[in-house]
Amino acid sequence: MEERKALIKIKPKSYADGEIVKVDFMVMHPMETGMRKDKKTGQIVPAKYINSVKFDYNGKIITSMNVWESVSVNPVFTIYMKVNGAGNLKVTFTDSTGEVNESSIEIKPKG
Amino acid sequence: MKSILKITLGVALFASLSYSSEQFAMSDADRAMYADLLDANPADMMVQDGKELLSKYGGGDAGLAKFLHVSEEKLPAFIAGFPRYLPDFKKVVGLGQVIQALMVTNGNKAFALKDPKMFNMVAYTKSLANDEKINIDVNANQQMKDAYALGEKTFNTQRGGRGLSCLSCHSADVIGSILRTQPLPDLGVNNSGGTWPAYRMTKSSLSTMQHRFQGCMNNALQAVIPLGSAEMVGLEVYVTNKAKGKAIAIPGLKR
Amino acid sequence: MQRRDFIKTLGAAAVIGAVIPAMSFAADAPKGPNAFSYKQALDTITGGKTPVKSDKIHLKVPEIAENGAVVPVTVEVDSPMTESDYVKAIYIFATKNNNVRCVAMHLTPANGKAILGTRVKLGGTQEVAALVEMSDGSFLVNSQSVKVTIGGCG
Repeated sequence: MEERKALIKIKPKSYADGEIVKVDFMVMHPMETGMRKDKKTGQIVPAKYINSVKFDYNGKIITSMNVWESVSVNPVFTIYMKVNGAGNLKVTFTDSTGEVNESSIEIKPKG
Repeated sequence: MKSILKITLGVALFASLSYSSEQFAMSDADRAMYADLLDANPADMMVQDGKELLSKYGGGDAGLAKFLHVSEEKLPAFIAGFPRYLPDFKKVVGLGQVIQALMVTNGNKAFALKDPKMFNMVAYTKSLANDEKINIDVNANQQMKDAYALGEKTFNTQRGGRGLSCLSCHSADVIGSILRTQPLPDLGVNNSGGTWPAYRMTKSSLSTMQHRFQGCMNNALQAVIPLGSAEMVGLEVYVTNKAKGKAIAIPGLKR
Repeated sequence: MQRRDFIKTLGAAAVIGAVIPAMSFAADAPKGPNAFSYKQALDTITGGKTPVKSDKIHLKVPEIAENGAVVPVTVEVDSPMTESDYVKAIYIFATKNNNVRCVAMHLTPANGKAILGTRVKLGGTQEVAALVEMSDGSFLVNSQSVKVTIGGCG
């Protein structure tokens, strides 16, 4: 499994159980459309883009996404999530060439 | 004859500036939308990469503080004063040069100043000073005074095929006017010193201030000045000083 | 004299260079591997049903995008997000891009708020549309035009 730099940010940093928090998921990815010409070689750079993102909160998929190449390079996805107990938020993402990666963050409500 | 041509080209470019036409003016609502993007800046990942690299090759925050002869508590405020004259280097240096020396001190080969890994490390290092006010002191010693003077001179010197200087587009007279659909920024008001390194949306990559200057030079048909050279460090001193007193917020986000 | 005419021409050319705010879409633009039109997208998702234009969809996009590479888009839908009444899906479309599809988000009540935010590439000035599927099977839509500026330095 290839290591791809990704980051999950939760806002606010400190939250209570039952609170609805903002979740930002971002990943370093070229999101190639398959229509761009490499300036040096003159060749078309083949398509390669994130095509799916799944958010798994304590074993339950709370959100899933299909993604296409019109999304910006180094994509960022913002969703909201109701905090329902301590645990783990795991994001699994795949790209159009078959790469599969995951990133996770601990969910730790205060009090 | 050649110099007259250079000047007329500069004047012609100048004459083409339109003064803030509404069709290109972004509304406050639009600006707020872009400001919101800072919450989740793709460069956050580059900063994190820089943190890992500094840890691996430079001993992390502790290693950096020790190298700079400051305590870890005083490190953020110290970083907020860069570029600085450092006795160890016997010259005014930027963060990139410090990190290079730190890497070598730790028995590693230093990354080139133009290496994206170096940009990431510079961004992480500067982010340690987030929320600190820029406290560069251009009168601290003779070396800083000289660096500032060299920076100001480089900023004001017309050179290259179009006879342009940095001042051509960044002087008080032309701030706000539109060039190639974008309003010309006041480098002090815009806090250039506090918001570079930044993620450039049009390039989808992180860039340091000096590297961005090289981009400007390319556009202005000027010979590009090398990163880390006395002139480039001088420029960084000069431009950073324009934002003295403003808070550092790394990584920035720019067009 | 000669020099004066030269300056005039140069001045005019520079103005033309600065004023082009948007890219025009050539009718015969090359089709990429994933070409997909807005009409195709709507029909595929709604099964031919016409979505209802609704102000319940708050589509936040800049009126003027300062660059086409990273255009912020946020879709917020008024909804209690309960098991019996929630937003099932939010779709974002760049209606004139080669592949109009950007993101299709499938929500659950666990989201708490029906909000999707992302950044998209826009090939030029166009309408950005948000299609929403509600838990009762209905489809809502809203759209807004975004002017994409091309230019700038470096």
